[in-house]
Amino acid sequence: MNVVSIITMIIILGIVWGGFTFFLFKAMSFEKQKTKKKIN
Amino acid sequence: MKEKEFFSSRWALIIATIGIAVGTGNIWRFSRIVAQNGGGSFLIPWVIFLFIWSVPLIIAEFALGKSTRFGPVGALAKTAGNKFGWMGAFVVFVSTAIMFYYSVVTGWCLRYFFSAVSGNLFNTTDQLAYWNEFSSGYQPLLFHFISMLLVGVIIYNGVTKGIEKVTKILVPSLIIILIILFFRAITLDNAIEGIKYFFTPELDKILDYKVWLNALTQNAWDTGAGWGLILTYAIYMKKKEDISLNASLIGFGNNAVSLIAGITIFSTVFALSSVDAMNQITQSGPANTGLTFIYLPQLFAHISSNYLVNIFFASIFFIALFFAAVTSLMSMVELATRTFMDFGFKRKSAIIIVSVCGFIFGVPSALSLDFFTNQDWVWGVGLILSGAFISFSIIRYGVDKFRTEIINGYGSDVKIGKWYNVVIGVLIPVQVVILISWWLVSSLSWDPEWWNPFHTANLGTAVIQWVIVLSVFIMLNKIMITKLRKED
Repeated sequence: MNVVSIITMIIILGIVWGGFTFFLFKAMSFEKQKTKKKIN
Repeated sequence: MKEKEFFSSRWALIIATIGIAVGTGNIWRFSRIVAQNGGGSFLIPWVIFLFIWSVPLIIAEFALGKSTRFGPVGALAKTAGNKFGWMGAFVVFVSTAIMFYYSVVTGWCLRYFFSAVSGNLFNTTDQLAYWNEFSSGYQPLLFHFISMLLVGVIIYNGVTKGIEKVTKILVPSLIIILIILFFRAITLDNAIEGIKYFFTPELDKILDYKVWLNALTQNAWDTGAGWGLILTYAIYMKKKEDISLNASLIGFGNNAVSLIAGITIFSTVFALSSVDAMNQITQSGPANTGLTFIYLPQLFAHISSNYLVNIFFASIFFIALFFAAVTSLMSMVELATRTFMDFGFKRKSAIIIVSVCGFIFGVPSALSLDFFTNQDWVWGVGLILSGAFISFSIIRYGVDKFRTEIINGYGSDVKIGKWYNVVIGVLIPVQVVILISWWLVSSLSWDPEWWNPFHTANLGTAVIQWVIVLSVFIMLNKIMITKLRKED
């Protein structure tokens, strides 16, 4: 694989898989906060 | 209409909605389109359109369903005004027309799963003949019936006991299977050549407007944005649920699955193909089935020297495809069922009507690939009009008001900024005009008799079918709105 392919791969996977993971963790943290509020 | 049934949690809603978005298009269409449009050159615009088409429209659908608690007819009438209820009816019709032949596709996947498990799939060396024998007989009809019956029973059980319970099993199973296939594929000898092609951009292709239009089309078709399906599931989300974060998660989740499927298929084809790998991915075959039902079975026969291992991988591939198809088909059946419910029908009678009609109107596609291709062309492009109508309804309502009062209203975890006004108010309408014009103008060159509505895929057949459907709904608008008001 050449440099251009590797950079493209990092960008594409970074945005799509990284974006998905980011939103997933964000949603999880909001759910955690809501559960904490409920308990309190 | 007062909603009684809701998804039990945020995760139940997200899993069900990912089930809508992830369909057979992520697995077989995505790889073929990537190959035809220069690999990495295609992926760049495909990611850009995720931000300016898919995610904004998914947000719009969530907001419409949650705020109006109506299917597309009532939702669009409430936001755009009663004069425009026919637009919602068109959205419903397009997705329902797709349901008629999508049930046939679901049946194909189920039949190939059985063929793989029994080992029949590897008893032939001529996969094209095997496919032709299957598709020209009556078996597609039988499997279309089974698919429609199965999904009908699921939807009959309602949102929590039906949709939620089934998607909680099928969607995670689908993702686990795809991950198993992914790791098997990338560890094959020579798989790196496929991955290299998949991610290598070519400058001339990046500058080609057709690659950009194909990337937009793929986003329009495979994320489920603008179909009215997500809008329907959003009716069953609790008031305290967030819109924008959930929508982003679904858009990105859908494209993440497409990438897993794409890398898997490219690695497999480049590693195992004895002839030109690119040729195998790009050739569509009858009704675009070539890659999935003709070439991949040939390759699965060579995945290892152990016959049982080959059967295992082929079986889990086709069951994954079947799960992807079933969870999407469920949402199409629910959309039609919900529309009947909005007009006063009980769920149980609505689902019987939808399942029976779904089977009957799917029969021509089950028996004729030409009819199938015609419907795929007409209503596939019709989906872009659906996206336009959803965007239009928000513009009529006031994009800023929609964003601040509904999207950023009660329950929102993340507030959406003013960029959303520009995307929905300007970019989506511009994309719709360009995309529809491009498809229709391109279709002129496919057929010298471009005006003939009885040909499989041309301008005439698309326009005439849209005009008929739109005229009927415009005429029925007053009756539909009166009935909806009575039920509200």
